[in-house]
Amino acid sequence: MSEISEVDPLITETADRLFSQICDHESVQNAEVTGEATEIWKAFAETGFPWISISEEFGGSGGTLLDALEVLRLVGYHAAPIPAAETGILGGWLLSSSGQQLPEGVVTVLPSGSENLLVARTGDRLTLTGRGLRVPWARTAEIIVVPVEVDDQTFVASVQPGDCQITPMTNMAGEPRDTVDFNEVEAFAAPVPSDVNLRSFRFRGALSRTALMAGAIEKMSQLTVSYTNDRVQFGRPVAKFQAVQQHLVWGAQDAALARMAAESAAREANRGSGAFEIAAAKLIANQAAARATKACHQAHGAMGMTQEYPLHHLSRRLWSWRKEYGGDAEWSEWLGRIAISQGADGLYPLITGGSGVLR
Amino acid sequence: MSDLTEEQIRSALDSILERRNADTRLTTMGAGSDDLEAGRRYLANTVTDGWHVPTWPAQHGGRNASASQNALIGSVLREFIVPDLYPFAIGLGMVGPALLTHGNDSQQEEWLKAIASGTSIWCQMFSEPEAGSDLANVALQAKLDGDEWVIEGQKTWTSRAMWADWAICLARTDPAQPKHKGLTMFAMPMSIPGVEVRPLMQMNRDAHFSEVFVEEARLNDQWRIGDVGEGWRVAMTVLAHERAGGGSRGGGDGSTRGAHIPSWIKDLQALPTEQTAIWDDAVMGLYSHDAVSRWTTQRAADEARSSGSPGPAGSGAKLRTVKSYKGRAYLANQSSGAYGMLEDGHGYIELMTAPSMSIRGGTDEIQRNILGERVLGLPGEPRLDRDVPWKESRRGLI
Ligand SMILES: Cc1cc2nc3c(=O)[nH]c(=O)nc-3n(C[C@H](O)[C@H](O)[C@H](O)COP(=O)(O)OP(=O)(O)OC[C@H]3O[C@@H](n4cnc5c(N)ncnc54)[C@H](O)[C@@H]3O)c2cc1C
Repeated sequence: MSEISEVDPLITETADRLFSQICDHESVQNAEVTGEATEIWKAFAETGFPWISISEEFGGSGGTLLDALEVLRLVGYHAAPIPAAETGILGGWLLSSSGQQLPEGVVTVLPSGSENLLVARTGDRLTLTGRGLRVPWARTAEIIVVPVEVDDQTFVASVQPGDCQITPMTNMAGEPRDTVDFNEVEAFAAPVPSDVNLRSFRFRGALSRTALMAGAIEKMSQLTVSYTNDRVQFGRPVAKFQAVQQHLVWGAQDAALARMAAESAAREANRGSGAFEIAAAKLIANQAAARATKACHQAHGAMGMTQEYPLHHLSRRLWSWRKEYGGDAEWSEWLGRIAISQGADGLYPLITGGSGVLR
Repeated sequence: MSDLTEEQIRSALDSILERRNADTRLTTMGAGSDDLEAGRRYLANTVTDGWHVPTWPAQHGGRNASASQNALIGSVLREFIVPDLYPFAIGLGMVGPALLTHGNDSQQEEWLKAIASGTSIWCQMFSEPEAGSDLANVALQAKLDGDEWVIEGQKTWTSRAMWADWAICLARTDPAQPKHKGLTMFAMPMSIPGVEVRPLMQMNRDAHFSEVFVEEARLNDQWRIGDVGEGWRVAMTVLAHERAGGGSRGGGDGSTRGAHIPSWIKDLQALPTEQTAIWDDAVMGLYSHDAVSRWTTQRAADEARSSGSPGPAGSGAKLRTVKSYKGRAYLANQSSGAYGMLEDGHGYIELMTAPSMSIRGGTDEIQRNILGERVLGLPGEPRLDRDVPWKESRRGLI
């Protein structure tokens, strides 16, 4: 398809402007109480942003994965409380890959695939029994997408939420991560091409989180620089103290690092590969998030601990995303196995060449 | 009172308290719980023989214990169930000891026993919007009017204000003096007219700290603690006790002696994480840090009690205790896998509380400044406002 490897600047500009207008502190806070952000979602959906990179043939908006990830970066930057990744590059991708039409509203997807499910197949119908854990926004979804493996073939099932029992749960950021119980639920399912499978789904999930996290760390760093320049103690802005400057530098470094890693993963993924870059980017984002949240909270003093100040909208999301689609251990192990399998002489080429070397 | 043996202490405590076992979990300081009654019952139970604050004079709720006897009682007490004393911590750990140093006889008489027995709760009204790390910048004003002080101003981040009967309140009595010199300390009843408490919501949805607005509240001069203009000295005593761990009893989770796996490690072991060599390493690193942290805190606390004026050791203790707490919170969350992303995941409250630990009671940076200047004798920070009248320096000319 496309060899375009640059983000369309218009996307960045429009999405940033949109979120600046609709995602204020109050609406983000309010979404935690009600469990949804209907207004934000409506405005977001009107632009077609949720469906970028999904072919128009299946109800998508077209465009590249790179553009879709740029939108996710801005979702993270503005702490927008909406299922953007689930509806688009995760759930939407699975549906369209299996030739299914996307619905108009929110789509979600079982993040761990079929590992907790018993699945039986009869033709194009699957019967699912079991429990899906930490399913983003299941309570407001029109379709719950379930990727499963049956008889060595990956299928994408479209489950009607009404057929399941949904127990509301929330992540640390107050975003819905519901428990979904399937009790002999019947659903339509279609097979996908072999490059779409539970493994590639896991990587794509991680990729979505690296974009969100890069955005959130960047915003957190900016917020901290600006707060510490305004906050005066001992007759000067606290940003003048070297101890505080160290925190600011950590925040800024981690923002740059996470964004660089996320962008290189996005570029490789856009070319159709990128496993190594995605794994590395998720691990980098996880670690950067841990360091940067510490540094930014510390530089804010008590103000950062209050609900009325927006730092926690970012830090709590980062703590949650850090655990989604692979924590530190999972990706460290994966990267370690790959590195060892390349042998000593293969290490440097792996670092410089990334997935290109593994192909 | 002559010193008791470990056995005597244990059997005395056995008659009034319940033993801990390996499964007893300690709660996180002031997170989640609004239970005042458990602490009240415990203090009412232990006050008769002065078990909780052994070094205090017997007539004020203690038992005149020596430092070594106190340490022994502390370690035996760890074998018993002690409820979350967070609501009472300011009185027991900070105000009480400061009153023993700076309070007069009638103040000690009036307040200490009530603190030790859990009948009165205190809060600490030090911080203000413009006075966080720069505490000496407080602006809340106290003006003498006859034999009463008229108080006017605002405090913030006042933990426990909504429960408190009394506040220890740092006020500016002479704006013409340089900032450290024009301060005076008061005890303020929270129920007098003119005092309004507005709870602030924290990011973990706790509302355990508040803004306190004071408008023309009138304080009797007999509630002044220490001399007029001596407020900074009293504040330093209070803070030193806070840092020395006065606010809570010791660091760590109160493990008893001998081979014994602390409950926090057992909790970690129960989590779904694979216990690899890397995990072992992290756990043991924390375990040893914890032990050192407990000894450091104990040493700082003993030093504080025996000298009556705690020194910079408390800053070292606070840095260590905080690092222990945060380390455990992060490791627990890490070990809980994807489940730990949920609001009811293991260690959620600890994780949400962790960032505040290195802020409350004086930030890590401020503790290190204290250690650098007072222990290592490093050159002090430039303090351009030291000799400038506060009413001029506060305008930020520097
Ligand atoms: C949960 C919680 C409970 C609290 N409870 C109480 C209470 O009961 N009563 C009360 O009076 N207060 C309370 N506080 C307030 C606490 O004492 C202050 O938050 C603390 O002293 C720091 O002040 P600040 O928040 O204004 O941070 P700031 O002073 O604005 O500090 C911001 C950053 O600048 C750094 N900084 C400032 N000055 C220097 C310097 N000279 N050198 C190097 N770095 C510097 C700080 O370390 C910090 O990283 C509480 C705070 C919290 C978070």
